Formats: sequence, structure tokens, C-alpha cells
Amino acid sequence: MNIEELRKTRDEIGKRRERYDAILMVCTGTTCQARGSLALVDRLENELIKRDLTDRFLVVPTGCLGLCSEGPLILVQPEGILYTGVSEDDLADIVKQHLLQNNFVDRLLYRLEGKAIANMKEIPFYAGQQLLSLRHRSTLNPEKIDDYIGANGYQTCYEVITGMEPTEVVDTVVRSGLRGRGGGGYPTGLKWRACREAVEKTGNHPVVVCNADEGDPGFMDQAILAADPHSVIEGMMIEAFAVGAKEGYVFVRKEHPLALRRLSKAIEQARRKKLLGVAIFGTDFSFDINVHRGAGAYVSGESSALMQALTGRPGEPEAKYVHTTERGFRNMPTVLNNVETIALLPAILEKGPVWFSSIGTGDVSKDPWNGNTGTKLVSLTGAVKNAGLLEVPMGTTLREIVFDLGGGLPEGSELKAVQLGGPTGGILPESQLDLPLEFDALSEADCPLGSGSMIALDETTCMVQLAKFMVGFLKEESCGKCTPCREGLVAMDVLLRKIASGEGEKGDLDLITEYGQTMTEASLCDLGRSAATPVVSTLRYFRDEFEIHIKDGKCSAGKCRDLISYNIIADNCTGCTVCVEACPENVISGEPGKPHVIDQDGCTRCGICREVCRFDAVEVR
Amino acid sequence: MSDQQLIKVEIDGKSVEVEPETTVFEAAAKVDVNIPALCHSELVEPYASCRLCMVEVDEGDGPRLVTSCNYPVRGPLTVTTDSDRVTRTRKTILELLLARWPEVKPIMDMAKFFNVDKPRFQHPLADCNPNACILCGLCVQVCSQGVLEDVVNFSGRATERRISMPYGGENPHCTGCGACVEICPTDAIRLTDDPNGPADPDMVRRAGMRVTREMILLDRKQSNLRDVGTAHLIETMNENDLLPVMNFRFGSHDDVQQIGSDVFGKKYFELGKPDGCWLGCTVSCCKAVPGFQLSTGPYKGERVLVEGPEYETLAGAANMGIFDPEFVLEYKFYCDTYGIDAISFSSSVAFAMECFEIGILDPERTEGLELVFGAADEVLQLLHLMAKGQGFGRIAGKGIRFMKYYFEEHYDADSGLLQDIGMEAKGLEYSQYVTKDSLAQQGGYGMALKGAHHDEAWLVLMDKVMDQIPNFKDKVEALYYFPIWRTWFGLCGLCRLPWNEVEPADNPETDEPAKVPEHVQNYCELFEGVTGKGQKPDDLLEMSERMYNFQRVFNLRMGYGKREHDAVPYRSLGPVIKEEYESRADRYDSQLADEVGVDPSGMSTEDKMAALREYREEAYEKLLDAVYKKRGWTKDGVPKAKTLKSLGIDFPDLVNLVKKHGG
Repeated sequence: MNIEELRKTRDEIGKRRERYDAILMVCTGTTCQARGSLALVDRLENELIKRDLTDRFLVVPTGCLGLCSEGPLILVQPEGILYTGVSEDDLADIVKQHLLQNNFVDRLLYRLEGKAIANMKEIPFYAGQQLLSLRHRSTLNPEKIDDYIGANGYQTCYEVITGMEPTEVVDTVVRSGLRGRGGGGYPTGLKWRACREAVEKTGNHPVVVCNADEGDPGFMDQAILAADPHSVIEGMMIEAFAVGAKEGYVFVRKEHPLALRRLSKAIEQARRKKLLGVAIFGTDFSFDINVHRGAGAYVSGESSALMQALTGRPGEPEAKYVHTTERGFRNMPTVLNNVETIALLPAILEKGPVWFSSIGTGDVSKDPWNGNTGTKLVSLTGAVKNAGLLEVPMGTTLREIVFDLGGGLPEGSELKAVQLGGPTGGILPESQLDLPLEFDALSEADCPLGSGSMIALDETTCMVQLAKFMVGFLKEESCGKCTPCREGLVAMDVLLRKIASGEGEKGDLDLITEYGQTMTEASLCDLGRSAATPVVSTLRYFRDEFEIHIKDGKCSAGKCRDLISYNIIADNCTGCTVCVEACPENVISGEPGKPHVIDQDGCTRCGICREVCRFDAVEVR
Repeated sequence: MSDQQLIKVEIDGKSVEVEPETTVFEAAAKVDVNIPALCHSELVEPYASCRLCMVEVDEGDGPRLVTSCNYPVRGPLTVTTDSDRVTRTRKTILELLLARWPEVKPIMDMAKFFNVDKPRFQHPLADCNPNACILCGLCVQVCSQGVLEDVVNFSGRATERRISMPYGGENPHCTGCGACVEICPTDAIRLTDDPNGPADPDMVRRAGMRVTREMILLDRKQSNLRDVGTAHLIETMNENDLLPVMNFRFGSHDDVQQIGSDVFGKKYFELGKPDGCWLGCTVSCCKAVPGFQLSTGPYKGERVLVEGPEYETLAGAANMGIFDPEFVLEYKFYCDTYGIDAISFSSSVAFAMECFEIGILDPERTEGLELVFGAADEVLQLLHLMAKGQGFGRIAGKGIRFMKYYFEEHYDADSGLLQDIGMEAKGLEYSQYVTKDSLAQQGGYGMALKGAHHDEAWLVLMDKVMDQIPNFKDKVEALYYFPIWRTWFGLCGLCRLPWNEVEPADNPETDEPAKVPEHVQNYCELFEGVTGKGQKPDDLLEMSERMYNFQRVFNLRMGYGKREHDAVPYRSLGPVIKEEYESRADRYDSQLADEVGVDPSGMSTEDKMAALREYREEAYEKLLDAVYKKRGWTKDGVPKAKTLKSLGIDFPDLVNLVKKHGG
């Protein structure tokens, strides 16, 4: 495909879209699909066919619209009206009332404190966002390359390939201040520069690899791949041109089937249009992308382990004293970037480094380390009202994210802490919430940003349990190659279990700290080096809570089973027998209509009785 | 490496200069600073799993903890191996290891050394087996990098991690070589294989392991067989003027680098791993070029795997005046496919090319082939014609001896010239070494029982490159010893590459480095390990000498076993044509002056050539006399009856036959 054809397609798509009175964007992100949004697409199309309205209205399955807790979502463009919690039964009303009579379907609108907000842009969750890596999420069908071309897609890489020197591209990215979104925060342009130097030194061919292994909770990378796979392809083309690579790989976890399918399809389409392959745009630039399905080991997201896994070996990290930019995949100079980083590239090259660095914080004109520019995707989950995927300028405070965009916690709950950055990330108490979303500021607070997953925790969270949970996960996911990570996690697990069961001793916390320090200093890879972070940061901010477990044998959050008991408050108990039926251990007794009693010997402290009680008659002591 | 700047490293106050990329661990060893480690061995690449070798490194930006085993020196640095931080880290790691494996000796010893006594937590998987596997990975590494087999590997993650074979079963590719057993620091590995009944399996394994160890440690420094196979010889031969170029006229060429081992190593040998002829061979000189697209012949356009090329194939191309790697692959593939020997093919074609250039052949006689030196397309056409038995292929395909007869008979060519430049002996075409300046190799080819093949007496390297047999007497001794010794390999079905392609580091200091005495001893042990018969080096030689003489008598019976059959074409001894003389005139002139006693100044090239020829032909005849005598043969090259008797092969048939021929 040459540039004339590209522009022609773009203009045609634009004109075609203008013909419609409205376009219905049905979210087909993972969460909405799970809630049946694919059926909505079919039903909606049938509805339009039935009423002979296909000339006036268009249905577009689109990528994740972000507000997952309210799905399935349908966005009516161009007005931007968002319908939430849509079921198949609602479709007739949307067509009849909204499309034909121009009346919004009120019951499906988003509500804030009882008040309906129709326009997406006015919903606080969206108002605070700025979309760069997800800039196409509510405008195109990710399975159609023409949609992407219609949104000016592949124009930027044409300009880059035909009009720029590779070193200029590198310089542009350096000046933009872009730092790796996978968690490391290493300046992307500097990584490319190092790769170019290694190529010059060794004469070996460079390779570009996109890390889409994403093992953290949340779904940022897979959301991009599923919402806008072509922006990742275009980003990789720019990257490959900049470092001189002919080969690209995307390492996608096979547990992200939607991302895998859409990416593979997109690559096929790009190949057919000759946007991938030999002599792209008639230039001497040739490039193609292979998709590798990762088997799901958490450690395979680590760069050197990923490169091992990419060759078909077990994902096992190697020392990086010699950087992977010099000797990576198959010992060739390798540039590894994360999906989000790559998806930002077309916009940066299109609009320039000054524009990009004006978003976010810091002055990166001289040094990319000197700021946190652009936007960052955050996967916000946990105890907030609006859970979902959002993209905000870097430097936005965590408080703004949790309370303004996330809508805070439901009535009666209080925020205790946020957990950031996945299993090897850290935890911050409410008092630290004014910290900005920045790589360095968060690392200094023992709570690295990581890939941007953020879990809001309320007062029912026990920090010992949380640390134990994270360590328990990592203990299974450590590759086991090096001693400090493999055995250190076991030691931590043993000690945390001890504390959680009330058998903690004085000195245990120091021991945990000591093992944690050795793990951090002596482990081979970043997984091992950061595996102690969840424990270190919970200890830093919630040491009291650990000490109470040890000294008093009490769990203030009421979560450590060995330290609590469930008791029935006789005054509140009506003797309804619901708890008797629900108790899996059959240890609740009492006559109907009279207060019941829990036999503490047989009770496993599962808490089901408390959950089913309608009279607040079960308390935790 | 020699032109690279050495880098200064300071380790615990001791200074040492090392080459770039040396690891801190290696640098420390140079100044006797001992760094503890459980997963380190000189036989494998650093794996950095135990983390005990951590040291503090300061490159000017403050001390950092790194693993010394794999930290490369790339600039000046200061190393501290015993700071508080280093010691604290090591102690914690040892505590963690001790908690899991409290009874494993290497861990206990090291823990004791660092005053770590009792772990401060109870490890749920504590294993009191003193021979427990401690997951150091040495067995995996040595199997993969040393033995090149990948028979064992890790499976499982985290605390589930263990050493296993595929699917937890037994790997049929395991040859029971014992490398993993030897390297395991805790004796956790046991061999359970059925070794096919050798008398002493351990002795065989020890001998095998000696080869493996040397291949790992020395191959890259000596021959690089694992990376480029025998192709490594091409540069050596070219540099020493021993590479046949244009039908053995010349010994080197400027374009040889285009088909050099570096080109094949970097661009073509892309299988990713060295390969051996048989499972478990750690020499692994086999190479192959995958995905080569053919441009001629019945498989034109197809992508194929080409085995090799080896030295002889590359040198054969140079002998035809062709320096194109793709041509080499094409002719190698079709020679293999047609069942044509690449050496005989290239030497025959080189001869035909010279005949074409001097007018014995012309396009009419070759049926259209412009068979000049360097004509790659014509050579491939000729190869396909040979396979089909058509056109000029019918003649050239029958080899040099037939061509000489045919050209004389039908084209009235000069018989003397044909004899001089037709490079064959006993009807077998010459292998690809220029022998003009190596008297020993002239004899090696001429007296070889099967014809001019190098496997019986490959002496050119020790004669002209290593200068290990400088005197006439040494050469005679070499022509007695080596053909017999080399025959022993064939006798036992063993490969001779582990004998002298990679030698022990201290071999040059031995009495007879050319014989590689330590390796001869290793073969003795291999023989004893298999057969149970204790053998000394002389015993092996005697076995072989018996066979060697038996073969000579067989040759005699078939009409190839006398002095006249050990004659060689003159180009094997010296320059046939003017350009040939002039290409190395200095050397020949000084030989005339120093050895022949003729003053070459003022003589015409023709006269000098004649004088040299006379001298060299005489030298060759003297060599035959001396070697025959040493072998216990008559002046006519026939084994004497008493020689047969002393070797215990005095069977009546044999004795009668040699007696008939004066033996």
C-alpha cells in the first residue's frame, strides 16, 4: 500500500462515517464481553436490519471503554452518550427512544449521587482522563484495519520512514521524555540509542520485542492490544526503523485470548496491505512481526526470562550486567518495550516531543530521567465505586485517581491503603495519597509504580494477610534459579504464617527485614530483587499492625483466622436459623426463635455466618 | 585479543591487569583471591545461581553488590570481596541454603567457614539427605555446553524446581558419559545405564571425559572445531602457502577469505549448535547449512540442508580457482546427492581446467564448456553431466588417471606434461594440500596404501607449520610411525580427531609433541576399558603394523604394491611451469644455492627448474629407500618375509607372494 492509497482509504472512511446519523460503539473489552456484549452487537445489528435502519446507524464493536464496573457499555457517537449496564432487553429502547425519537434512555445512564449524567465527557471517571495510548478506544473497530487508517493510522510511520533519519527518531523519543511503561521507567530513547551502539559495535542484527506478557492484576496491555492493535504495530514499525531491525516479536500471554486474536488478525491485515513485509512504502525498510504465545509463568514478563521463553526455553532470567540491548534474544541486540510504551509512539512522532513532554511533570528537554512525561494507564480495582481502566497524565495524585475518578469508596467504608504495581509492588497508607503518579517519587516511598495496577483497600484489609498473600504468590512464581529469591521467599512465608497464626516472636520482623534486604540486594533478576517489596512497604507503613499480631495476638482487621473468633450477639439474634443452614462445619446450634451459639472448637472462622446474617448478630472478636 | 588494551583491576588491594570481558571471578583468581561459590566450574559458563560469589564492585560511582562469576571487566574497577555487606549477604544466603539442606557437605563446610551455625527459621522442605541436589545447575550446564546434549534440565518452578529428564522419565539421548556425575558437587547423580558390556565402564568414561574436558577448555583456543569444524584449516593453509590453488600450481590466494571459516561460521552455519557424527561426541565438528536455495540441477529452486562444508570441500573450490561460498554449497550438495566424492571431483576438474587453459582441451572437446579456472557455472554443469553420464562428464567423471590416458590417446597430448600435472597416485586424486615444500607429505601421499589421501599420513602441518620434524631422519621416522598409528584408528573404528586436533595445553613441552603422547595414552585406556586388555602405546602400534603390512601385501597381490606404484606426479615435488616457479622463486633459489650447490643468479627459470627437479626427484627416491628400510621392506617396496614373520603374519600365501617379488 502506498501513501496515496493510504490517504484515499482514510478519506473514504471519514466520508462513510459522516453518512451515519449515529454510530453505536459497543464495548467488547474483556469485562463487557464476559457480561455478554458480543450478543449485544448481534442483537443491535438485527434490530437495525429489522427496522431497515442500517443506512442511518452503524454498530461498531470497540475496545475497552474503561468503566468496567458499569458494563456492558454502549457509547452513542458522535454525541458521546454513554449507556451502562445494558442488557439485550434494553436494545429495543435504545433504538426506538434514542435513535428514532432522540430521547435518552434514562434508566441506563450513569448516575452520580442519584443524578444521571448522559454525556461521557461529563462523568468524573472520564473527565479526569487524557487518552494517548488508548486514543482510539471509543472511535474504531479494532478488527478493521480501515478503521485505523481512517483515524489517520499508519500516516505517521510513513512520514517517519520516508522523511526522517533513524537517529532523528531516536532523538525525538529521547526528547519526549518517554519512559518505559512496563515498570522500570527506563527512558525508551536511551534504550534505543544503546541498541544502536551495540549494533555498531557487534555488527549483529537488532530485534525489537514487545512485552505483552502482563502478569499483574489489571489489564492495561491486553486492553490496548484488544482496543487498538494497529497502534502497537505502527509503534513497532517506528521502533524498528529507529534501531534498524527487520524482525519484531510480540510476546503475549496465551491467557489473553482476545488480545492475541485481535493482534494476530491485525498483523495479517497489515501484511496483506503490505504495511508489514519487504520494502514497505516502496522504501528499503523491511519489517515483519511474529506473535509468540507465552505459557503464563509470571517470571516470563522479566526481560531476560522473556527472551529465553521466546526461544522456546523455560522463562528463566539471566544476569543483565551485559544489557539485553547488547545481547538479548538469540544473543542479538534486542530492544524490549512494553505494549503501552509502544502504543504511545505514533502520537509522539505525529505531534512531537514538545507536545508529549508538556503532558505530565518535569523538564525533560535535557535529560529524560528528569521528569515523568505523557500519560499512564491505571487499572483501578478494589474497594472503589468506579473500577476500571483509565489513562491520566503522569503526576496526577493517587488521591485524585481514587477519589475523583474512582469515585471514592462506598458509603460506610474507609480507605486504608492502596496497593500499587502488582505482586512485587508496594503499599501506601491513606496519608501518602497525595503522592503523584511518578516513577521516582513512588519508588522512594517503597511503592514502585510498576505497570500501573492499583487496588484500593478498605479497613477490613489485614496487612499481615496481604503481605502473606503476596509472598505466597511469589513463592510459587519464583523461577527458583537463584538462592535468595527461591529460599528467601520460603523463609518470609514461614515467618509471616507464624505471625498470622499468633505464634510470632520478638525479632521475627527484624529477621524478615534481613532476609528482605538480602533478597533485594543479591537476587539475580528484578522479580527476586523486588519480591520483598510488598513486605518491606507494609512493614514500613503498618509496622504497628504486625507488632499487635505478635505482642497481643490480635488481628485488628479481623482476618487472621487463628487470632479471631466469631460470636453471636444474643441481643441481636432472632433465631432465624439462616446461619445454621449456611455453616459448612455445622457448629452453630440453637432453637428457632431463640439466640444461637457458635461452638468455637469446630469453627474454622470462615465468616459465612456473618455474611448471611441479616440482623448484624455475628461479631468478630 | 592481543591488540586490546588491558584493564587494571584492584581486588582487595591487589592489582591485576586483565583483558576486557574477563570476569571479576577470573581476575580475582589471578591474584589468588579466593571467592566462594557453589555453582561455579571452569567447564561451564557462569550461571550465577548460588549468589555466594557476590562482591562489591566500584567503577567510580560507589560500591555495588554484583556476582563476580559473571560480572565482566569493561573498565577500571575496584573490587572488595570481604566487606561487611558482602559477608552479611553471604551469611544470609548460607543460612537459607543450610535451612533447606542441613546435611550437604559443601554447604556445611562453607557455612562453618562463615560462622553460620543454625538457621533461624524452620524450612518446611528441609532435606537431611547428605547427597541432596542443591539446584546449582552444574549438571544442566555441562550437559548443554560441554557435552552438547541437553539431556538433563530443570523442571518446575520455585521450590518445585528439580533436575529431571523430559517428562520425568529417562532420556534416551543420554549416553551415560558421566560428565554430570563428575561435576556434581554433592554426588547426587547416579548412573543407571546399561553400558553395552565394556570391561571397565568407568575407565571408558574417564577417557571420554578427558576428551570432553579438553574440548570445552581448549578447542576455542586451538582449532575452533565446535564453531567452524575442519573449515578452520583454510586460513592456516593459505597463510602457509599450502592451500591448493588452480590445480595445485599455487599455495595461496588473495580471495580465500571469501570462502574462509569466518564467513561460514558467521553467515552460514546457522543450526545454532555444534553437532557430532554420533550421539555424545563432544568434538562436534559436524556443520551444516540450513535452508540453502539451490540454483542449478534437478533440485533447482528448492531449499535444502547442506552438510559441511569441510576443509577439503572449501580447498577443492580454491583448487578450481573459485572463491564463492554459494558455489561451495551448491557443489557440495550435489556431490553428496550424487554420491560423488568432493575431493576426487574437485581435483579432477582442476586438472581438466589446466588442460583446457593449456590447450589440450577446447570447447569442442568439452562439448561447449568453457572450462577455465574460476568457471563456477561450467563446473556445476559438468557435475550434473557426470551424474548423468553424458557429454564431457563421461570422461572427466572417470578421474585423472583415465583422463591422462584419454587425452594422450585421443588428443595426442604430451604424456610427460600430463603425468606432471595430473595429481593422482595409485589412481586416487590428491587431497587438498600442496606438498611441494614438504618432503614428508610427498612421501605421505606417495606411499599411502590407498592412494594420495591424507588420512594415512597427514604430515604437512607438523612438517611445514609446526616444524616438528626438521631433519631427514625425523621425516623418515614420521613416515614409519604415523601411517601405522593412523591405521590403528581405522582398525578400531575410532575417530582420530580427538587425538591431535585439540591437544593438551602442555603438549608442546613433551618429548614428542607431534605424537601427542598423553592422547595416545588415553586411547590405550579406552582400548583397555572396552576390551579389558591392558595395552601400552607400543602394543597398539604393533597391532596396527601387522595390519599395515598385511594391506601392503594385499596391494602387491592386486598389482599396486611396489616402488613404481609409490611414484608421484612431479607437481607434488616441485614447480612444473614457469609461473609456478616464479611464484615462490625466493624459496627455490635459496634451496638451489644452499642445498643443491648451484648458483641460481644468471640462470634462466627453465634451467633453475631443471636443476631443482633433479634434486627433488632424487630426494624423493632417497626418502623411499630410507622409509622402506625402516619398515622392513625391500628397495622395491615389498615387505620382507622376515618382517612378516616378526609380525606374526607369515601365512604361507603371504610369504610365497612376497618371496616371488624379492621380499
